[in-house]
Amino acid sequence: MSPGAHLSGGLPAVGLRDVGFTYQGQGGPALDSVSLDIQPGECLAVLGPSGAGKSTLSRTLNGLIPQFQYGELSGSATIFGQDTARTRVPELARRVGLVFQDFESQLFATSVELEVAFAAENFGLPPDEIRARVSDSLGLVGLSGHERRHPAVLSGGEKQRLAIAAVLAGGPDLLVLDEATTDLDPVGRAEVLALLRALSAGGREKPSTIVFATCDAEEAALAQRAVLLHSGRLEADEAATKMLADPGRLEAHGVRPPDLAGLFAALSLPERPREAAEAAGALQQRGLAVDRQAWDSLLSKEAAARPQGGPAVEVAGVSYSYPDGTRALSGISLTIQQGDFIALVGPNGSGKTTLAKHFNRLLEPTEGELRIGGKPGRAQSRLELARRVGYVFQNPDHQIFADTVRDEVAFGPRNFGLPEAEVRARVGQALDAVHLSGREQEDPFSLTKGERQRVAVASMLAARPEIMVFDEPTTGLDYRESRSMMDLIRELHLAGHTVIIITHSMWVVAEYAHRMVLMHEGRILADEPVRDALGKAGLLAQASLIAPPISQLGAVLGHPFRSVAEAAAVLGAR
Amino acid sequence: MPATDLYLDRPTFVHRLDPRLKLAGLTALFVSCLAFTHPVYIAAAAFCVAILAASARSLSNLWRMRFLLVLLFVFSGLLWCLFTRGRTPLFPGWPSFISRESALYGLGTGLRLASMVAAGLVFVSVTRVEEFSLALQRLGVPFVITFAFTTAFRLVPALLASAGTVVEAQRSRGLDLESGSIFSRLLRHLPLLVPVMVSAIRNIDLMAMALESRGFRASPRRTSLIQLHMRGSDWIALLLCLGLVGGSLWLRLTGHGAVAGLR
Repeated sequence: MSPGAHLSGGLPAVGLRDVGFTYQGQGGPALDSVSLDIQPGECLAVLGPSGAGKSTLSRTLNGLIPQFQYGELSGSATIFGQDTARTRVPELARRVGLVFQDFESQLFATSVELEVAFAAENFGLPPDEIRARVSDSLGLVGLSGHERRHPAVLSGGEKQRLAIAAVLAGGPDLLVLDEATTDLDPVGRAEVLALLRALSAGGREKPSTIVFATCDAEEAALAQRAVLLHSGRLEADEAATKMLADPGRLEAHGVRPPDLAGLFAALSLPERPREAAEAAGALQQRGLAVDRQAWDSLLSKEAAARPQGGPAVEVAGVSYSYPDGTRALSGISLTIQQGDFIALVGPNGSGKTTLAKHFNRLLEPTEGELRIGGKPGRAQSRLELARRVGYVFQNPDHQIFADTVRDEVAFGPRNFGLPEAEVRARVGQALDAVHLSGREQEDPFSLTKGERQRVAVASMLAARPEIMVFDEPTTGLDYRESRSMMDLIRELHLAGHTVIIITHSMWVVAEYAHRMVLMHEGRILADEPVRDALGKAGLLAQASLIAPPISQLGAVLGHPFRSVAEAAAVLGAR
Repeated sequence: MPATDLYLDRPTFVHRLDPRLKLAGLTALFVSCLAFTHPVYIAAAAFCVAILAASARSLSNLWRMRFLLVLLFVFSGLLWCLFTRGRTPLFPGWPSFISRESALYGLGTGLRLASMVAAGLVFVSVTRVEEFSLALQRLGVPFVITFAFTTAFRLVPALLASAGTVVEAQRSRGLDLESGSIFSRLLRHLPLLVPVMVSAIRNIDLMAMALESRGFRASPRRTSLIQLHMRGSDWIALLLCLGLVGGSLWLRLTGHGAVAGLR
């Protein structure tokens, strides 16, 4: 029995018996005979790709399923002995706190302290007790002193920590987090993970039982135990270290394996180091080092791939202030070459999206000049620019409106007044490029998020722009979907398009982009080849970024790697 | 990041008033604006609003909304001026359709509408949505209703933000919202409507789940972090409000403050 078990009179924190759930109107089950016992004091990671059933599982634990979301539930789910199908959700909330992925939709108060007070107010606690809980919870998540601020002005990491505080103030014994770090920048994510580590280490009475769903195996390292979900079924349930030691299995189930474990598996070595220094030590002991010749040929290939064309976008001294006077960009100068593959990176609110919106005149600079394709931006109409610069927004649901995939993709070309035969040809080609041929007649809303993202890309491609901007192309996608989206963007780049991506995902930057532009508080902090920037931990930290573990290992070895595959290829016996 | 609502967190005595008093003050100002039609009397009420805004350090919000206020003043003033008839020509020898009385009446109604909106702006500048909701609850409105009501307020900025993104997304695909006839422009808004509605429904659904998960309506007796106490200053303010209402009604009923000579 775990140390915390006596607190709950021996009842498990979570008891699932053959739990299955099928959403109303859906063919297959989202959960399929899942049995799981979690003891008080345990910290459990739930791994799996999108559609595996992570959210369904999380929502089953606090009764939202089946009480709020309709469908068919089989088996039984209990929380500290309470049946989650029979006890009302608000009642269960006294024992279970659930934190959602989307930190915007779960915050609704006008100040930080009122946000945190909400749960305790609902439970009818006396005002003094509410005040005490608010101050405790804010202290725990490191937001003391922010009591009177508006949640909307916090950074992403702060918002998610606020959402966690708001749940903790209800005093739950079990904390469930449903992909709570997915939408955060690397530092915001590190903040939330550090908080989870502190909460699971206990020291405080509650909550010491934590269940967190994630599609990133690196995060699972902070749990003692991990389960792997796939198509609603429990594929594995074991110690987290054991789960992470098998990168092949994780990858086969659509979960991005930890970099260093992946490298050692690729080199057929038995060690499974967690830190870069540890990995470097193990490599040295094995007598492995970077092969000079292989490395040099890698670098020269990279140099040969540098773009040779003229400037595609020239930004000269651009500043931008919002109508209310808030300054978002200050004195930005940047030249993007034809054929560049640029990653715009930096913390939430650093001005990345604001800058990119200048490229197709969604925003006009308050000061400074832009030249697009060699001509001043102002001299070109929005319609002209829409054909030259394609822009794919972060959330495909902000643009999809048509009844069929074909009409959705044809929207742009029709706006340009092209003849119908030409429109048809372009739609066909665009859908071909995003591997959605044959799906023309489908309703875009019935597609998966990854597919909807592809529809959005296709509808941009149909305009045949030279320059393509992708705002967070992998957010909300799991590992496999992210890979195929990025492979698609790479194909487009190789076909001659100039590509600009805005992203928080550092492995995406490392593996795919060629040039990294780091932004911070509306300014450009650095503009360097990706490989050079990956080796500079201090510089990255200034922009709230952290290099992927494989690049950290590379930095220790003096050869910043961009991917596990690349590292495995150049490491050899000395 | 641009502010999402009009509340200004300032340490003034107006902010510290009990929200029920703020509501009473708003009502009193409305009554005194509606009691009169003569611009001089309404100007006195407008002056009260201005004093209140200045002492609540909320003039910046009135400045932010200056276009709205001026627009209301000019339009309602002009319309009422044109649609009422008086006896005395504005200037000797001028055509009779603009009379001295109708000009005064127009000025009065323009000022009245602008002052009432300004009073409302001062109210939201000094009252948190949660305080407003609590004041309504104390006045007997059930929590679920006040919550729904105040949530609607909070959803407006979120809805506007998502609409802004949708407009940008469709513009990037060459949607032209500016040219053509009104009808064709309206038709072109269809690609905006669907995504805005879809994301609104999705967000509201998520928010409802987040509310339930944090114990919404867990206990029949809900408590509150904000505590309402009537203090000395609140009683003084209450007297002032009653005085304002009583005074306005007394003046009006004794025949003051109306524009005389309207037909």
